[in-house]
Amino acid sequence: MKISFKLLLLFTLLLVSSNAFSEVDVVELKKDGSSKLVVKVRFNNGSITDPPGKEGLTALTASLMMEGGTNEYTKAQINDLIYPMAAKYSSHTDKEVSTFTFSYPKAFSSEFYPILIGLLLHPSFEESDFNRLKSNTLNYLSQVIRASSDEEFSKKALEEMLFQNTPYSHMVAGTVNGIEAITLEDVKGHYQQFFIKNNVSFGIAGDFSKQYVHQLKNDLEGLSGVKIEIAEMPKIAMSNGIHVKIIEKKDALGSAIFAGYPIDITRANDQFAALMIANSWLGEHRKSYSRLYQKIRETRSMNYGDYTYIEWYHNGGRNQLPPSGVPRMSNYFSIWIRPVQIASQLKEQYSELSEITIGHAHFALRLAIREMDLLVQDGMDEQEFEKTKQFLRSYIKLYIQTPAKELGFLMDSRFYGRQDYIAELDVLLENTTLEQVNEAMRTYIQTKNMNVMIVTDDSEAELLAESLRKNKTSKMSYAKQLKAELPEDVLIEDAMVEKYPLNVTSVEVISSEVPFLK
Amino acid sequence: MVKNTIFGLLVLVMVACSGSQDQSTTTLDNQKILPYPIQQKTMNNGLNVVVVEYPSPGLASFQIIMRVGARDEVEAGKTGFAHFFEHMMFRGTDKYSSDEYSAALKSIGAAANANTWLDRTVYHMTGNATMLDKMFEVEADRFMHLNYSLHDFKTEAGAVKGEYTKNNANPYQKLNEKTVEVAFNEHTYGHTTMGYWEDVVDMPNQYKYSLQFFDRFYRPEYATILVVGDVNFDEVYSLANTYFGAWKKGDFESDIPVEPKQKEVRYAHVQMDGFPPFLELNYKSPAYNDTSMEVAALDIISTILFSERSELYKKLVLNEQKVRSLNGGFLFTRDPYLYSISSSVVDEAEMAYVKSEIDKAIEKIKTEPIDEDLLAQTKSKLKYSAIMGMDSPSAIADDLAFFIWVSDDAESLNRMYAAYDKVSAEGLMQAANNCFIPSQLTISTISSKKEGGLK
Repeated sequence: MKISFKLLLLFTLLLVSSNAFSEVDVVELKKDGSSKLVVKVRFNNGSITDPPGKEGLTALTASLMMEGGTNEYTKAQINDLIYPMAAKYSSHTDKEVSTFTFSYPKAFSSEFYPILIGLLLHPSFEESDFNRLKSNTLNYLSQVIRASSDEEFSKKALEEMLFQNTPYSHMVAGTVNGIEAITLEDVKGHYQQFFIKNNVSFGIAGDFSKQYVHQLKNDLEGLSGVKIEIAEMPKIAMSNGIHVKIIEKKDALGSAIFAGYPIDITRANDQFAALMIANSWLGEHRKSYSRLYQKIRETRSMNYGDYTYIEWYHNGGRNQLPPSGVPRMSNYFSIWIRPVQIASQLKEQYSELSEITIGHAHFALRLAIREMDLLVQDGMDEQEFEKTKQFLRSYIKLYIQTPAKELGFLMDSRFYGRQDYIAELDVLLENTTLEQVNEAMRTYIQTKNMNVMIVTDDSEAELLAESLRKNKTSKMSYAKQLKAELPEDVLIEDAMVEKYPLNVTSVEVISSEVPFLK
Repeated sequence: MVKNTIFGLLVLVMVACSGSQDQSTTTLDNQKILPYPIQQKTMNNGLNVVVVEYPSPGLASFQIIMRVGARDEVEAGKTGFAHFFEHMMFRGTDKYSSDEYSAALKSIGAAANANTWLDRTVYHMTGNATMLDKMFEVEADRFMHLNYSLHDFKTEAGAVKGEYTKNNANPYQKLNEKTVEVAFNEHTYGHTTMGYWEDVVDMPNQYKYSLQFFDRFYRPEYATILVVGDVNFDEVYSLANTYFGAWKKGDFESDIPVEPKQKEVRYAHVQMDGFPPFLELNYKSPAYNDTSMEVAALDIISTILFSERSELYKKLVLNEQKVRSLNGGFLFTRDPYLYSISSSVVDEAEMAYVKSEIDKAIEKIKTEPIDEDLLAQTKSKLKYSAIMGMDSPSAIADDLAFFIWVSDDAESLNRMYAAYDKVSAEGLMQAANNCFIPSQLTISTISSKKEGGLK
């Protein structure tokens, strides 16, 4: 009975408040009875504040703050101290923010606090920790990202292409040349310049006292008092036509495709809800009922999945639901076509395909683009619109299943000038009409101009490039046994897809060494 | 990674934790690790129903855990089939075609999916608790009346090949495939859940076998229904009877080969230029057991030897910086599997040195009793990890599911935690000596060299 009462308290006493008048903005998510505290401290800096030639400096500074010691303790001593507490903390830098997340049992709130504050206010910035993290980052940029997941590789390389000549272009982790150029003095200077009380906010979730919040707020006032103005992002230029880059690799089993173009809309805009409905219907992340998934995977058996996005989706290969901590003012519409078969693999499996020279990449890209065109041209039907709207109104509540996730989304809400994005989105979705969805699609979905990044095997990179360059017919190559029973309408559709004109204006084949260098 | 997964098994403790560390630890010691009752009852047809009533207003997590996985793939040419079959479960019935099933899922507004691993296949959905009836209806329909065409079967085989294709870009996946193949000569743990490439390529030709597979394994005695969240047991049990009551019991049992004792060091290697050198030492781990202490002791050893607090981490990662990452641990499995210690090594010329340092740490834990304070701190860490780890219906369901598939009893989770408390310094040494046997080691490497192998 005692437990029941506590549980009742835990889930009924939830208070979200904001102190808009303090210097440090605070989001409080009260969960009375909870035995865990989550503190998120956020700086509005992000990789866009990396100085040219030192790409990766913000992320490296943030990780060195968390991976090093403080004025009181070395990293090894901190590891000893937090061991019995099972406390965890980490940094995450994105394009526009860096977020530090600390999770610890309420029972250790006092013991852990000096470590939390020490890491934020008095990071030791030891040479040895710096060397270690710099080496790990270089290792990631020069080797791991190019050889671990062709999908993640193509996604990051697409951003570099899409945002070229803007502070958004380089990967958050940096570039090879940028990281190599960074010194420990750079890190210390960047910390003083960009991890400051002028751009900090924090959130706390759990069963905390007012004094605890007050103390944290006061202590964060001890951050550097430098005032900075982060330059407004330049408007991202739309490409002129479809620009394709093909990264050739040895021994790739398939072709991994990411494509996208900038869109001038974010969560701050009420119309985002309407576009979200269109996008969910077309390509909801990891859902079998979306249009592209049905056409490419379910009907044609071409790959593992196909999705579209209207904002950055962090680590989509692992996350089933969108994480917080990646708010951005510059969005792009993107298409993710998971690796499709290359010719050599198809030939090996099916003797009747012995004549083909390229695999499914060109056809898959055409199919996805044609579906986007059809969606804009025909609009959604009333029934699909209602179903998708109802789905989203239920589904978005799953984004915030834990206090930590709820806190993260509340903090992101502030970035977009909202108080509680999920709650507000629910109302916006409820009030969205079919006409508004169709209008949003006409405004934001187009296929004439975009950037396409493909990672594929060196055996077909040049042939695929030629096929795209010349808008050659890309006949769908089915195994005989599959084709025999395909419905007639699929074959008719294939005939339209294989010749569907794409506005390709440039195609370039590059080595896997090229991206992320500078 | 392995380590994190093990910590991920731990569950929420909802106790009044305040004051000093000692007080809190004492409070924890006297509680069941999961303070919510695990209510379970087996239906007449053998289907077990497990419910945890958890106060997540309007939200419930619904899982069906099938105790069939890659372990059951005993026939040649059929590796990867349990996973492939998981895909086929989304291909429709007479009542709900594949498209209609997708539409029904969409109407539930849930996060739903499935996954397969060595010992099990799990189907899960988390969503609106008021839609529980619909969840039961669509799931019972496909578990009892799955009906797909030959064409759909062949089509889905392409998606599975696509999944293999995307995974294959990862060198660690390639190494894992080689490691298990070398480490197991007889047992079905010798192939990965994805299966061998040639078997994946041949899947379109296995339609008849797929019908047999469904008939064998998709039976109530292989299944557990688990619901965590804003529900009550009577309601769930009643729904289970309504929708799954007619599910007929089967009689098939896999004949899983016993792995003979390994008597020599074995090697697995992936040659790769331009990729961080990688070293993994794989000993044979014990089968899951919540009563013998051995499993609990080994889990504690993993925390002591390989966490960021460990001497080895401080030496190799922080001070000498010869290693970028260090992980060690094992996964709970129905039969003996692998205890893996892995490290991303900075310079491949240092691999032998790194191995020698790991060997020293292992030798020490086999021969010297652990300091009592460190043991107490480790138990505290494990328990507070539990407090931290679980704060949603799906997280609790995921943890319970683990214990259901390894032991067929959700209550095993509480027993495992009771076991951690009883582990002694002596017990640690004994477990270390039983597990870390030099002749039962498989050394796996990724490097630029043509051949692997380290002494």
